[in-house]
Amino acid sequence: MLTFIGLGLYDEGSITREGEAALQAADRVFAEFYTSRLLGADVDDLEAHHGIEIEVRDRAGVEQDPEPILQAAENGDAVFLTAGDTMISTTHADLRVRAADRGIDTRVIHGVTAETAASGLTGLQNYRFGKAVTLPFPGLHGSGDVPPSVIEAIDANRERGLHTLVYLDIKVDSHRELSALDTDDPYMTADHAAGLLANDWEDELAVVVARAGSPEPVVAADRLSALAKQSFGDPLHLLVIPGELHHVEVDALESLAGAPESILPTESDR
Amino acid sequence: MLFTLLPVRVCIMGRRKKIVNECERLMDEPENIRNIAIAAHVDHGKTTLTDNLLAGAGMISDETAGQQLAMDTEEDEQERGITIDAANVSMTHEYEDTNHLINLIDTPGHVDFGGDVTRAMRAVDGALVVVDAVEGAMPQTETVLRQALREGVKPALFINKVDRLINELQEGPEEMQKRLLSVISDVNELIRGMTEEEDYDWTVSVEDGTVGFGSALYKWGVSMPSMERTGIDFGDIMELERSGEEGRMELQERTPLSNVVLDMVAEHFPNPVDAQPRRIPTVWRGDADSDLAESMRMVDEDGEVVFMSTDISMDPHAGEIATGRLFSGTIEKGQNLYVSGTAGTNRVQSVGIFMGGEREEVDSVPAGNIAAVTGLKDAIAGSTVSSVEMTPFESIEHISEPVITKSVEAKTMDDLPKLIEVLQQVAKEDPTIQIEINEDTGEHLISGQGELHLEVITHRIRDNQGIDVHTGEPIVVFREQPQEESREVEGVSPNRHNKFYITAEPMDQDIVDAIHLGKASMDMPELERREALQEAGMDKETSQNVEHIFNTNVLIDETKGIQHLNETMELVIEGLEDALEDGPLAAEPVQGALLRLHDAKLHEDTIHRGPAQVIPAVRDAVHRSLIDAKIKMLEPIQDVRIDVPSEYMGDASGEIQGRRGRVDDMYQEGDLMVIEGIAPVEEMIGFSSDIRSATEGRASWNTENAGFRVLVDSLQPEIISEIRERKGMKQELPPSIDYI
Repeated sequence: MLTFIGLGLYDEGSITREGEAALQAADRVFAEFYTSRLLGADVDDLEAHHGIEIEVRDRAGVEQDPEPILQAAENGDAVFLTAGDTMISTTHADLRVRAADRGIDTRVIHGVTAETAASGLTGLQNYRFGKAVTLPFPGLHGSGDVPPSVIEAIDANRERGLHTLVYLDIKVDSHRELSALDTDDPYMTADHAAGLLANDWEDELAVVVARAGSPEPVVAADRLSALAKQSFGDPLHLLVIPGELHHVEVDALESLAGAPESILPTESDR
Repeated sequence: MLFTLLPVRVCIMGRRKKIVNECERLMDEPENIRNIAIAAHVDHGKTTLTDNLLAGAGMISDETAGQQLAMDTEEDEQERGITIDAANVSMTHEYEDTNHLINLIDTPGHVDFGGDVTRAMRAVDGALVVVDAVEGAMPQTETVLRQALREGVKPALFINKVDRLINELQEGPEEMQKRLLSVISDVNELIRGMTEEEDYDWTVSVEDGTVGFGSALYKWGVSMPSMERTGIDFGDIMELERSGEEGRMELQERTPLSNVVLDMVAEHFPNPVDAQPRRIPTVWRGDADSDLAESMRMVDEDGEVVFMSTDISMDPHAGEIATGRLFSGTIEKGQNLYVSGTAGTNRVQSVGIFMGGEREEVDSVPAGNIAAVTGLKDAIAGSTVSSVEMTPFESIEHISEPVITKSVEAKTMDDLPKLIEVLQQVAKEDPTIQIEINEDTGEHLISGQGELHLEVITHRIRDNQGIDVHTGEPIVVFREQPQEESREVEGVSPNRHNKFYITAEPMDQDIVDAIHLGKASMDMPELERREALQEAGMDKETSQNVEHIFNTNVLIDETKGIQHLNETMELVIEGLEDALEDGPLAAEPVQGALLRLHDAKLHEDTIHRGPAQVIPAVRDAVHRSLIDAKIKMLEPIQDVRIDVPSEYMGDASGEIQGRRGRVDDMYQEGDLMVIEGIAPVEEMIGFSSDIRSATEGRASWNTENAGFRVLVDSLQPEIISEIRERKGMKQELPPSIDYI
């Protein structure tokens, strides 16, 4: 049996009760932290809290050499952990398919993911989100500061009045040096991202969500150019580019995200 | 009385300073400037001839010309008696009552230093080709002619060592005439063959005065015009040459070599105003209708600065000196100039001209001249340097690629940083050298044109820079090339969300050559590239889909409308280059492969189709397609020519055949037998000493790199395994390589 467990957003307590039970019953526990990580707990904390031993796999150890994980699942109960949810944006669907192809039973125990937090913390309604994108560090993914596909996706969402959830790049497992990326932080910050996007949408409204799932998350709405000049503290960050706003969404941005009144649509606009 | 006949400036007091002043004055008159190179087969006497010219212009003393070799400034050059770097000098010469400024570059003749010759040709408009009267046109004669004509540089001929015909070979007037005419007709045949497509006739002739004869050693020379002027004919020459020291002195006084040659230069070589309108379109692919193009064609000293560095040398005080041709504008201290291929500008520290081996600073140098510039720290030999950003000049392609590699290691750790610095400097000065710096092992690799080339470089590191180094045995550079068309191969990214479908096939040699010679490159406008590739034989549709050219390999994008492929292409190219730099057999460079991308499946989000996914997927697909295309090892080969007395012919040809070589031709030339053939470079290591002992030192020989050919099947496994072991790769090949 191979069980995919989402650890949730913040620390060892963010996992679901169901996940915790499966984790403690497992024969072998694998995890990867190259696609995301927990802000409030490291591997030692997880091991101590759950009384288990975790084998952390790097990218190659998951993608190119999944054999130890699959064998463990063939011979007993194996679990595979990621931060957030294992099947949202981290896309471990491939590993699940490989396991299923070998006749291994699989199941997924969901975790709370940034996608729900983005909607939950900003008050922007999940019905009104369009396609999500990841903003990579410049120079890593084709030409230009922002890849055309990212700009196209945001444009397309905006045309349809939809919000865009912008995940921010993590480079903890790259073949290139961080110094080559013009940053010393492997987790792209929201101000860095706002700076990149401000080239195209300087005066547009955006919402920063920092440390979603932690006891003290930060939510800040302002023009991209203004967000680019601020600092939002420790990772992880994400960014939402709102589309057309419902009046309840306007109220939420004003009172929950501190959006300056001047950039929100007025009563008569709505 | 005799001296009044001499048009050469003879300055007695402070003549050097005087010449500098005169040069400065003449620099502003492009009609009276001649930029020339002297080029020849090794040992045919270029440098001795150059010394004659310098002495004639009063720059070194008459007595020492012939022995001084003023142009061979490096110690190892004077030791070896050959020129290694191209050397520059400016001089003045009065012809038909007008003073001329002659900027001259002496170039190396040894085949290993051919890159210097090619670069020198970019800077000049005329090439004086020197041929030994006894040996006649030799392989390097052909090479230097080709290098000149490809750059649009006009040739003239000087037949040297005529004294040997008279004294050593004791030839009579008829024999001598026959021999000289046959040298001329051989050279003309070469020129004709190389200029077939041009609308001008650049063959040389005695009647026109584009051929001179003489003896650089004894400092006399004649040409048709000089004979008319001085009344000295071949009969007089034979008589005087045979009458010993006194006769020679008389010859030297009555018909000095420098006059004859410099007159020929002034009369027959084009000045920059005549040359640049013809040469600019050959060497520059920018917009022909732009002001910049106009000011280059017009040699406009008030235009933007456009300078091409053809040589970088190191001066202990001034730092790096970039020497090259100023095609437009006026270059002076304090200018901020762009250097092609680098960001920002470099500030000119000083400008100067060369007098012998020394640089003389001047205030400014105007268009049409050869200038020596300091402060251009980003420039390498071949850089375009300009006051506005512009399309760079055509890269100066040297015909031969590096074929031999040697490892260099500092003996003490303390020298390590200095060694790396020196190696980088070496690569800047001579782009035909390739340097691979390995900071992990400290074992750096230098690749070059031949054993001597590398020997000279390591010698300079050791003696001039004082760095104690270990050097490894010379290693031959191999290549890998597909032999047939592959099936379509799928490359999957590690996360399995991205797939690439690729085929590989060998490319026609004509297309490979066109790319190699820079006739088709990614630097040129798309339409032009397309035409050049079609002309070389690529079909129209393929040529329209060229996505990338790397070394002599081409990537064709045959996909249609795949979303996100555009922004992923850079990574595809990175994976492709990785795969081609280290081929699948022995991690040697791949050449002559045509790769087609037929289809791609990509993940929606950039992060899941990033470098960690796309690069390995493409690299893997390229390698597997090459294996399916039955990729094999190629080895470098050399043309070999040996001149040897007939009694040693058997031993000499045995030296070629015993080296996996092939003798193609044997024929009598004079009293010697000539053996021509080819042999692999690997087997030619150590040839010099073997041929010497096989022929008791009676053979003279010449080798020239002649590209790569498929290594015989029986040696493939052995060579692959040797290289893999040396590189620390695992011995087993992928099981799919079952055809070797």
